[in-house]
Amino acid sequence: MTLNQYIVIYYIIFWAVRINGCVRRGRQPLLRGPEWFFSVHVRPDFYIGEGRNILRRYWMRMLIPFVVDIPLAIAIFISGHLQLLNLLILAVAALIHINHSFSVPLAERQAQPFAVLEDEQPVSSVVFSLKPRRLRDYSNRTLEIAIALSSVVAFAWLAHYYLTSPDHQNLRQVFGPPVLWLYIQSGFLFAKFVIVAWRSPAPQTQADKHLEAREERRKFYLRMCDWSRILHSILILSWPVLLTASPSYREQLGNIWLAGLLATTVALTVWGEIRRRKILKVVLLARPVKLPDLMGHAETLKWPVCYQPSAPLSVLKGAHSYSLNFANALTQLGTAYLAGMAVLVTVLFMRR
Amino acid sequence: MLLAINTRDPRAIYEQVADGIKELIARRELREGAALPPVRQLAADLGVNLNTIATAYRELQKQGLITVKHGLGAVVASNTAAERSQGELLRPLRAALTELVLTGLAPNQILEVVARELRTVTKGSK
Repeated sequence: MTLNQYIVIYYIIFWAVRINGCVRRGRQPLLRGPEWFFSVHVRPDFYIGEGRNILRRYWMRMLIPFVVDIPLAIAIFISGHLQLLNLLILAVAALIHINHSFSVPLAERQAQPFAVLEDEQPVSSVVFSLKPRRLRDYSNRTLEIAIALSSVVAFAWLAHYYLTSPDHQNLRQVFGPPVLWLYIQSGFLFAKFVIVAWRSPAPQTQADKHLEAREERRKFYLRMCDWSRILHSILILSWPVLLTASPSYREQLGNIWLAGLLATTVALTVWGEIRRRKILKVVLLARPVKLPDLMGHAETLKWPVCYQPSAPLSVLKGAHSYSLNFANALTQLGTAYLAGMAVLVTVLFMRR
Repeated sequence: MLLAINTRDPRAIYEQVADGIKELIARRELREGAALPPVRQLAADLGVNLNTIATAYRELQKQGLITVKHGLGAVVASNTAAERSQGELLRPLRAALTELVLTGLAPNQILEVVARELRTVTKGSK
């Protein structure tokens, strides 16, 4: 099989995973039963009246990534630049998550006028765990050493190949893909750091259930990050193997590599879905409540970004919208990472 | 090691944070040398203003319970507060006892309440 054929298969698998994700997200509003719309406890007649329209609008918004994806995919297929499908997958995956993270709060806001009033009041009492939580408590030392070593070995191998190969080698061709994978891998490490660092108070009633649900979700996302890092480590390490293989074996090795990659992606997706269902059982035990706004005076915030050193949260809630706070170190780092990614992709793929 | 905050509590949030940490120190859930989150981090986690936590930590530092090192966060310095005069210590106790008497509780009931609360506060301490 050719590389392009593998990319097309990968794209088809991406579609299958997306449809599964769509079904899962489509069911999310009703997971707690007909008296709930996401985390909003709604009146019994909600789904007979306006609730049906709110739900339909939420489902329609889920189609936005498809509207973006389909014309671009058609253009890529017509142009024949099938390798661009990789970038399309990355962009659409990001778009799906961004779209969902905006769509859910919007749907909840629309449902709030139909909420059971007593449940709309924020709880008065919250608890916060002072138990220190560090990244190293959620890291496997052996795994971290293996990941670091594999990267060092791969880059040393590539450097040796680049310097000693009798044919003139293109620097970007030799180092480009592994540098990009290493950058993505470091992004997952940053995501792990954010997941561990992210904390918020829990309601005093059912505090244990809320904290347990958070811990389960935290562990799941951290494991997902670790699996992605392992996958990228394998990619990085297999790159010099592919480059240095004799031409007769290269195609065969490439096929094994791509087939392995596809199989791993499918296995990880299945594992993720199974884990997600288990976690859902724990999450549903914690009744959603509104937490009190302990910050206050947020009505002057500007959308979409602000700089509020006295309020060190990454996202601040204003009177009408949320605002990304650039006084928060994680916001600064996250923005720098995304800017770095844009520069790297431009340098690796666009410049001739 | 849970810190509780109640929006209906007449005490300011910084007082609730300081009192909560004091209780954890008294119960030995936070022992000498235990690290507390840095001011900025705790403020972000709790969703409160930076000054709220800074004021709470200053109060605890004033009482000799924690030491704050710039950029490194706070550390529990001692499990006993700095010495205060008897009058200073008795004033809040007398106010609390007055409240209990005014609610109509009999002295033996008050003693029971006090004993129970004392057990809660010192739970875990030697």
